[in-house]
Amino acid sequence: MSDALTAEVLRNALVVAAEEASIVVVRSAYSTFIVEGSDASAAVLDARGRLIAHSMATTLMNSMALKVALPELIEDIPLETMRPGDVYVLNDAYRGGVHTNDLLVYRPVFVGGTPAYFTATMIHVSDLGGLSAGGMAPLATDIFLEGLQLPPVRLATADGIEPAMEAILRANSRTPDKVMGDVRALVAGTAVAAARLESLIGEYGVEGLAAGVDDYLDYTEARTRASLAELPEGRFEAAYPIDDDGINPEKSHHIRVAVTLDATGAVLDFAGTDPQVPAAVNASASQSLAAAVFAVRCFLDPTIPMNDGCLRAIDVRLPEGSLLNARSPYPCGGRYVPIYAAMEAVFQALSDAVPERAIAPSGILQPFSIAAVGAPYWIHLSYDFGGVGARQGLDGPDATGVHFGVGRNSVPQAEPVESRCPLIVESIETIPDSGGPGRFRGGLGSRTVYRFLADCHVTTRGDRLRLPPPGRDGGLPGRVGGFFKRHLDGTVERLASKVNNVRFAAGEAFIVETTGGAGLGPPSERDPAAVLADLEAGRVTPRGAAEDYGAETQSSIRSAGSKLIG
Amino acid sequence: MDYVIGVDVGGTFTDVVLRGTSGAISVAKCLSTPHDPIAGILTGVTQALADRDPAQVRRVVHATTLATNAVLERKGVRVAYVTTRGFRAAIPLGRYARVEEDRYDLRFSPPPPPVAAEDCFEVVERVSARGEVLTPLDADSVRRVAAEIARRGIGSAAVCLLHSYANPAHERQVAAILRESVPNVVTSSEVWPEIREYERATTTIMSAYIGPLMASYLSQLRTRLAGLGIHAPIHVMESSGGVISAELAARRAVATIESGPAAGVLAAAGAGFADVISFDMGGTTAKACVVRGGRPEITHEFHVGGKGSFGGRRAGTGVPIKTPAIDLAEVGAGGGSVAWLDAAGALRVGPHSAGSSPGPACYGLGGSEPTVTDANLVLGYLSSASIPLSPALADKALDRLAGPLGVSREEAAYAVHEIVSASMASAVHVVTVQRGIDPRGFALVAFGGAGPMHAARVAERFGISTVVVPAYCGVASAAGLLAGDLSTDRVLSRLDAPDPEAVFTSLAEEAAADLGVSLSDPAVRLLRSVDVRFKGQSHDLTVDWSPSREVLASRFCDRYRQVYGIAQEGEIELVSYRIRLTTPADAHARSTAPTPAPPPAEPHPPGARRAYFPELGGYVETPVHTRDTMERTLHGPAIVEDTESTIVVPPAWTAALTESHAVHLTRGSESP
Repeated sequence: MSDALTAEVLRNALVVAAEEASIVVVRSAYSTFIVEGSDASAAVLDARGRLIAHSMATTLMNSMALKVALPELIEDIPLETMRPGDVYVLNDAYRGGVHTNDLLVYRPVFVGGTPAYFTATMIHVSDLGGLSAGGMAPLATDIFLEGLQLPPVRLATADGIEPAMEAILRANSRTPDKVMGDVRALVAGTAVAAARLESLIGEYGVEGLAAGVDDYLDYTEARTRASLAELPEGRFEAAYPIDDDGINPEKSHHIRVAVTLDATGAVLDFAGTDPQVPAAVNASASQSLAAAVFAVRCFLDPTIPMNDGCLRAIDVRLPEGSLLNARSPYPCGGRYVPIYAAMEAVFQALSDAVPERAIAPSGILQPFSIAAVGAPYWIHLSYDFGGVGARQGLDGPDATGVHFGVGRNSVPQAEPVESRCPLIVESIETIPDSGGPGRFRGGLGSRTVYRFLADCHVTTRGDRLRLPPPGRDGGLPGRVGGFFKRHLDGTVERLASKVNNVRFAAGEAFIVETTGGAGLGPPSERDPAAVLADLEAGRVTPRGAAEDYGAETQSSIRSAGSKLIG
Repeated sequence: MDYVIGVDVGGTFTDVVLRGTSGAISVAKCLSTPHDPIAGILTGVTQALADRDPAQVRRVVHATTLATNAVLERKGVRVAYVTTRGFRAAIPLGRYARVEEDRYDLRFSPPPPPVAAEDCFEVVERVSARGEVLTPLDADSVRRVAAEIARRGIGSAAVCLLHSYANPAHERQVAAILRESVPNVVTSSEVWPEIREYERATTTIMSAYIGPLMASYLSQLRTRLAGLGIHAPIHVMESSGGVISAELAARRAVATIESGPAAGVLAAAGAGFADVISFDMGGTTAKACVVRGGRPEITHEFHVGGKGSFGGRRAGTGVPIKTPAIDLAEVGAGGGSVAWLDAAGALRVGPHSAGSSPGPACYGLGGSEPTVTDANLVLGYLSSASIPLSPALADKALDRLAGPLGVSREEAAYAVHEIVSASMASAVHVVTVQRGIDPRGFALVAFGGAGPMHAARVAERFGISTVVVPAYCGVASAAGLLAGDLSTDRVLSRLDAPDPEAVFTSLAEEAAADLGVSLSDPAVRLLRSVDVRFKGQSHDLTVDWSPSREVLASRFCDRYRQVYGIAQEGEIELVSYRIRLTTPADAHARSTAPTPAPPPAEPHPPGARRAYFPELGGYVETPVHTRDTMERTLHGPAIVEDTESTIVVPPAWTAALTESHAVHLTRGSESP
């Protein structure tokens, strides 16, 4: 039997190895991001630093971090010094990491006494110091304010976690027990995947597995190139703005990209992107790479596997010292702000290239944390999603993360949060008329209201809250959302998009409104039946229908919004 | 003589098994009648009864896909959803994950919600996580909602208010008002009072969605069986493997969603081994489940209509249902799965299935794509024995793969066989290795049309050395129905309840009332368990109850280590309290008398045909036996073929026929 015939079996087995590691981490971690959001990552790589497979839940942001950081680890800690049972960790944002709270954990898998593969896991741990509990420091001006930095170091040996490492991690965390719970989960996840990989080595043989991996990567590269070749050739440019850096609320920043498509592959050159700033809106290179690759893949065959083979066909150029490739000590904690702008720029460039699959810009996720003002610490770390931009032929989904495939599943429910934290979730609603009007309508933003039963600190990191996602091809922008404080007398005050530890008193409420997606095509061309259906479902109000679409609000159409609340 | 009847309605076949007091069995298999499932049932029951007296039927146990199909095909009744003010968007917004291929899909649209946005309503009230009333119920707001529901002509309502598990009073009041104008009202505190409003709401909505269908279906079934002279009580299998009365099934329809698969697992559990993996492979999917100590593993949440991935029904891709169900993994790999070459020329199998129309190429019904069944025919595993199959058409279909791959026809066929075995193995993997269970030492019990053909190869992948193919493996689910106890489950979420005994007592009393039994009856068994988690974590594990906190902590830590492989210690908290009440369904079902074997036939000289075994270098002349005429022990390679199934005995395996007419395959050279 030829190996090529059963390649599919091996490929699945490699992904399953990562999948198992992911399951173990999700189930046993403490970090609130993880326990409510199932956002754990796991990957299998080889000693050459090639990404072979990652688990289903792994975002490209995390798998690119794991891929870019592995050669850095091997540079500092040579392969020949590694021992079976050793586990390594880093979070250095300038060497593949993301930001201090995201720990990258690696375990070598040995063949004939030398590491041949690595299994890796990664989550946002509960707290590793910095300006704000839980790892959000939106007003950090250098990386030292973001928390503890870890160069590549040994985290554990066959005897267990290094006592010195445990002491350091505990000493730098507001939640030492939880952080160690998270770290143990990460270590256990690598062990599960390593055991699986060892059994694959047994089953396929050393050479057989190596050949199978090579085939898998080649196969992926071939499919990626074939799919790229179906896109029109040419050079497509676009830019996308960032509201502000949180320090200077007036000044916006820009990401620029030129996408060149030809028969051999794709080049994404971000030359012209604004320089890095001493504020938390820079990204490490691994994160920008993830954004660029993700955006391109959205225009390719979705069934292509994700591994190093795919990366070979996509050349991403990130100017050093720019917002997309920051150098020390420029802070990287707010990386999603520039990389979402980078993704949007690529989407817009490719929408010009392939108009029949165009997408208008979207509202993005709006992270925030709510935390106790002092010990004992409790923290609720979460994010709400903006509406997705309209697609050619389709409205945008409401309040759904479009980017990196995150979905509404990440948003916690009221009951478990209320049973854990001193607050009341008053409402979770979609905001009528917030989707950008157009022939195809942008998805709606959402509004969530938290009323506090104890004093607490609120930290936010928003964007697209000043500059709305612009409409495409005659569509209108989405409605901007924001973060708000409702005072005891009921007055509502808008907060800046990026605030750190704003104190709320018991009885006050924190309101999160997300931004709607932009519309595509002129609203006047919208199918009247679609406007009626939106009215019926409460997605637009009679006034919105009249003002945005010029729809006659006949008396037979009753406002769903007023009727549905008894 | 008294009889009990098991009826399993599947997608293709309706299976009926009749068993008498003496243990004698009669079996009928007929085509399902999807537009009127009862018609197929009546045909099957009539056949199985033959000339027996219908008045002597004491009980009919039914597994039905009615609820599942209603959900999958969105054919339930229109439901109004009623919740606390501020939360009506929760259902339309949904909570869903994207599976791998959706991730890069900018044209992804969320699955349509189980209730349309305009049919979601709010009432003014609020209860805290501890059950205190923060805002009293505004009855006028309920009346306005009731009027609007009626105006819209909606006949079924699901009520799920925040924290109703902690205090159900408002839900009860809302239901009482709604019932004045809405015929069917279901509350979340009655269906499944467990914390996490989204899953509790979808469970309640699904109950309201399929309850009226189930009630009318079961009442018709009763009437039409009475027309045959059968006046026996009708029982329905629950997803968790217990059986409940038809009346209760109508009220708790959501508990019957996994009715059919559960019955199959019970059959496997009864195969004579304490620890088994049930392996059921049909035309479009394969399902696996673990049974330990005779008890199938139970899950407390599953998803209907979701997408699978690596054998798991992935959370967030379907509608979550929070009632206990036998923990199955399912993959889209069956006899009808189509083999194809992807854009880069790699061989893939499934998940698309040729179904029964056009079916595999060898059926000669117009299908030309190569399927697993075609591959098995080319390999000589299958023959035209029971259904006419066309080897020429199968050859032609496989050549469509072999040509582009540059390999021989039989190599292509074996690759298809192997890929599909691997895919099925991933279902086994999910329920064993992924749950921290070492599958070696388990027996693999294979049934379903295609299971016994692949079972030994799947077993080999896990180092499993015993495969069991039960007698009547073609109607295993219907036979399994007769093994179910009367049983029902209850849950209540109450963080560290001050008086757990009182919680358990009230749950047990409700359950006993539903089953119509007395808790003082010695035959009634009560199992109590509790969901425990580390303080600060969100995932919990269910362990058997003990009033001692230390014992609970130690049980929890043991289970935690088993599931996650991590020895962890810490402060625990109790989240939810569970009971399962069980009572024997009837004396016949308890009887452990082995299924009598048909009269022994004299061993026959076997037939023979060429079958492909790569370890023997390709095609070899292979003896073909039937179960009735096989010698007591056979050495592979061999094929055992009869109307029930085709069993492939690969080289290095030995087949033995047991007293109960099951075939046991054993790996290795030991002779029994």
